[in-house]
Amino acid sequence: MSFGRPHLRTSYEQDSAIFPTWWQKGAAAFALLFITLMVLGNGAAAAIPNWLFGATWLAPFTLVIPFAIAALGYNILTGVTGQVSLGHAFFMGVGAYTAVALGGKGDGGAKACIPFHENLGLLESAGECGLGLPIWIWLPMAGVLAALVGILVSPAAVKVRGLYLAIVTVGLTFIGLHIARMLPEYAGDYESGRKWPKLDIRLWKEETPSIDLNEDGKWFGLIHLTEEQKQFFFLFAILLVMMAFAKNLVRTRTGRALQAIRDRDVAAEVMGVPEQHYKRIGFAISSFYAGIGGALWASYQGRVSPIDFSLLLSVEFVAILLIGGAGTIAGTMLGVTFVELLPKVVERLTGWLAGELDSGGVISTIANFLLTSGQQGDFGPVSTSPTAPGWPMSVFLWNPVIYGVLIVVFLIFEPHGLFGIWLKFRNYWKGWPFSY
Amino acid sequence: MGDLLLLAQDSSGFFPIFLQTLVKGLALGSIYAIMGIGFVIVFKGTQVLNFASGGMAMAGALFMSIMINDGGLPFMPWSNPLAPAAGTDPSIPRWLINLFFALIFAAIMGMILERVAIRPMVGQPLFSMAVITLGLETAIGPFNRDATSQAARTLGVPWKLEQWKLFDAGIPKSYVAAMIAAAVCFGAVNFFFRSRFGVAMRAVAFDQEAAQAQGINVGRVFSIAWGLGAALVTVAAIFYGMGPFPPQGTVSQEIHPILAFRVLPVIILGGLDSIPGALYGGLMIASAEVFAGQYLSQWTKILGAGYSTIVPYLVMLIVLLVRPYGLFGTEEIRRV
Amino acid sequence: MKIKRLLALLMAFGLVASACGSSDSSDGGGDDNETSATTEAMEEEETATTEPEATEAGEVMDDIVVDFGVTDDVIKVGLNPDLSGPFGSLVSEIVEGQTVYWETVNANGGIAGRQVEMTILDSGYATDKGIENYGVLAQESEDGVVIISENTGSPITAAIAEDAIDDDMLVIPLSWASLWPDPEIGANILEKGATYCVEAMNGVSFLNDLVTEAGDTPKLAIISRPGEYGEDGHVGAEIAAEALGIEVVYNAKGEVAGDDRTAIVSQLLASDANMVWVTLTPGETADIFGNAVAGGMTAQWSGNLPSFNYLFHLGGDLAPAFDEYYWQSGFNLPWNVGDSEGMGEMVEAFNELRPDIALADGYVTGWMEGMIVQTILEQAAANGDMTRAGMVAASKEVVVDFKGISPNQGWAGDYNESVVRETYIFDVSLDAFDIQPVSAGTGGTGLPVHKGPFVSDVARDYVFDGPCI
Repeated sequence: MSFGRPHLRTSYEQDSAIFPTWWQKGAAAFALLFITLMVLGNGAAAAIPNWLFGATWLAPFTLVIPFAIAALGYNILTGVTGQVSLGHAFFMGVGAYTAVALGGKGDGGAKACIPFHENLGLLESAGECGLGLPIWIWLPMAGVLAALVGILVSPAAVKVRGLYLAIVTVGLTFIGLHIARMLPEYAGDYESGRKWPKLDIRLWKEETPSIDLNEDGKWFGLIHLTEEQKQFFFLFAILLVMMAFAKNLVRTRTGRALQAIRDRDVAAEVMGVPEQHYKRIGFAISSFYAGIGGALWASYQGRVSPIDFSLLLSVEFVAILLIGGAGTIAGTMLGVTFVELLPKVVERLTGWLAGELDSGGVISTIANFLLTSGQQGDFGPVSTSPTAPGWPMSVFLWNPVIYGVLIVVFLIFEPHGLFGIWLKFRNYWKGWPFSY
Repeated sequence: MGDLLLLAQDSSGFFPIFLQTLVKGLALGSIYAIMGIGFVIVFKGTQVLNFASGGMAMAGALFMSIMINDGGLPFMPWSNPLAPAAGTDPSIPRWLINLFFALIFAAIMGMILERVAIRPMVGQPLFSMAVITLGLETAIGPFNRDATSQAARTLGVPWKLEQWKLFDAGIPKSYVAAMIAAAVCFGAVNFFFRSRFGVAMRAVAFDQEAAQAQGINVGRVFSIAWGLGAALVTVAAIFYGMGPFPPQGTVSQEIHPILAFRVLPVIILGGLDSIPGALYGGLMIASAEVFAGQYLSQWTKILGAGYSTIVPYLVMLIVLLVRPYGLFGTEEIRRV
Repeated sequence: MKIKRLLALLMAFGLVASACGSSDSSDGGGDDNETSATTEAMEEEETATTEPEATEAGEVMDDIVVDFGVTDDVIKVGLNPDLSGPFGSLVSEIVEGQTVYWETVNANGGIAGRQVEMTILDSGYATDKGIENYGVLAQESEDGVVIISENTGSPITAAIAEDAIDDDMLVIPLSWASLWPDPEIGANILEKGATYCVEAMNGVSFLNDLVTEAGDTPKLAIISRPGEYGEDGHVGAEIAAEALGIEVVYNAKGEVAGDDRTAIVSQLLASDANMVWVTLTPGETADIFGNAVAGGMTAQWSGNLPSFNYLFHLGGDLAPAFDEYYWQSGFNLPWNVGDSEGMGEMVEAFNELRPDIALADGYVTGWMEGMIVQTILEQAAANGDMTRAGMVAASKEVVVDFKGISPNQGWAGDYNESVVRETYIFDVSLDAFDIQPVSAGTGGTGLPVHKGPFVSDVARDYVFDGPCI
């Protein structure tokens, strides 16, 4: 640590450190502290405008975490290895259904866990499969099984490249939906799904969990937390572990091989990196993350239906990656927060604007210009009342439009995403007063 | 009503069913092929896989429906002089003229989208461009949804659900119309590629910079590719809207938006940059889908309900294992 | 170096831990977290039990006990509709119908001196979003609502049914699954009208009469889509077929999935059925019906309510065929059909408040939801208990008077007592269809009442031992 020249690196260890500068260590620590404080003290939320968070901001933030874990995996496959996949939702589904088969409550005994039992003539209807095992079994298994499925499909996936791969993985999503429909003993009802095991930590199948995440109460005899806060910290801890693993991966031999394939696959092969082998590894690791993310998502939500693991979900990850900035963990985190929370912010913003219609002043003028309240003689593209179809469109229809347009605008003006904006900003001040 | 009762005849023998299935497969294949050619033209011209095809196609079809039914053009103060008199069905020539204007609308929409969203991205990775079109698709969707109310958005098909009889099998006129449309589109596109612009597009597809250096206006080629692509997918959406295709004479919010995704296996099978590939791919995939639906139906319990929907993807996966660039695609020469 | 990195990580965790400790003492002043912070020094066991009680007791205002969503002058009603998803255009009408209903109520002085306010959160028919919305509506704070007056779809209703019982939240679903009259599953789900299962029993009985009167031996085909809705209607039709001794020649339970229905149509044609019961979406009905008719089928068709949409089906090329072969089933009178007091009031309100809206069927559903909620709110106010639990209690006491739009309905008693067994059959008639309905009372759904409200023998005698599925 030479303080004289802060960016002079004198060893490989320094160059590949997780947080190479003191400034970054401080920033990471501050981020952790800030998040913790935000979650613990509702007072902190008062400083943020009410339309943004209201009283229920913790739940949406917690919901981001499972997506963040899956997005880390997507970043490894697409951002680090450069393989464009549109099948991430499929692997999330594999993880989620592994979780529910191992950890869920079954009502049909062991026979329910045999697929196609009706066609095999075993019994009439066996209900839903679930073995009721604790989280320390179903969570890792969700990842492992997803990874295995990833390896299983990789022979087809590693052979094709570029857009061909993207479309092959689209096929994966549709085939996955079909399989889910064929296996109601695992997936439950095709539309309304089934219940997932709750997040709590048990040693085995005992009645009272060792760490209960679904009741308000004291944690470790130290601090009183609500149910939501407990779940947040639990998921956040898993996220930190997964982040550390992802960050470490790119510093290993495997990580370097994956990056080499992304940058130029032929060159990598010439240099002795077995391309197909490492692509397969990339697929497996990415699927592992997707599996964990999917299992946690379903379990936090309590119920997910097979159609939720559709192409739309896969597309969301593409948006996360490109908006955040491909290839970096910080970018992935920025992207996932932005993409997952954006619709909610837009929704609450318009709700808040509608409330300000009659307040007078600048905001009121803007609101009047944008909004139509359904009365005659009122213009504006956004209708606050969900009127029958026609112009003006209701705010609920504008949401996806804004989402789509933002993806386009981001890619056109900032191909490196939110992380790119940060880099530009940082480099400007680092080099100041020199603009180069 | 007379037409409908006319059909009430027995057609249960092996041959009539086979013939009907074959015609249905060919008709669906024609739709897939037209849509596939739309994808391929855009890809050849601009190296973009246009995921927004579905939204653009539906917007074009909706425009057609509005022209025919509402007696006026959207956002225009004057009424549509070509619309049929209220309550009547359009004659075939009048319907075709309306179709022509819908295609022009679609082409203009395609050109505008290209100019606004694709042109600034020239030189960016293929992936970024594809994702831009995904963003466009997301943004177009709600407008389509808003324009399709619960009420049927009919396309005013002049021949409605009429059929011809051939060896006891019912051959819907719409199916024949779809095949004719595919033939016309295929012919027109082939003709186009022999024209001045077509040669320019082939040059651009080969190497954008070299083409520019030779004095080809690459920007104009981009524009034309997107205009043509949008018009072609609109043709597919309109002809797919005719009964007895699932939307049954309407533009359907339930069925139309996913049409483009169903065509993806077709262009992969045929090869992303091959126009004959899209034609053969479309016919093969649709036949596989329809024949599997017809002749494997007694095994529905084992294959799972709706199995025929994933048949195209399975065919695609098997073909790709053998030929990673599709049946007719150009193999990319990989260099360091 | 490895150790150093580990240390850095530990340090980061250490910061979290110390933050946990410090925040209690620093943040304790005056915010919501006060209880948890200050009680830290006191007995640890008690906090967990006393905190919820403090809120459950509620506050007393003008002799009415309230908790969340009701204040001195406002009653908050929540909606969790699908406004941007597959049912967007239909549900937009329903929500608008309810909006006008509350505007009318508010103009007449509101309920118990309070104005009714709607909180609308769009689910887009995505289960995950619907669950999230429910969490926002059911929050135990001033932003929460006292009752959920619209919750679109069986999947989302199934997903929140259990939480609704835990939260004492009353939910009116846009779903007629036979799950909801079951106190174990749907104790707080107030289904409006009969269930899909009962509807199918009545419908198949009707088709049976029709075919028998024509002198044919009934041969039934039952076609449904996967999911709760499809299964529910399918099971109802099977029950009726068994009770009436009808031969089921084609049974496609949950097989209408995906986009290609060649298999369904070919098997249906091969089965030679002369009556068909469907539980599908409008698009699926159009496809299968259209191809079957094109294939020469002359059977009588009917199906659960959402399978047929007069706006969609009668505006298209298949309209004459639907007129000929299809019978619409339903739970209440459609727009501008029959002559009822309730419909008259609705038309009047719309003429005054939304003169340029073309009225359609969806608005009637929204209007009826408003009627249910108003009746419950008034009963709760009369009981002096407008808490969420008070709403649940009131819902067991009321009988909602739909003023002729639908049979009156109450929700007291066990499954067999509370389930509604009356449905309607409408004759699909192109002559009565007018695509341009306006609120002045012109226009028509093309659905004159053929029969109803009626109860078939099968539905009357059937003893439920729980939901059909």
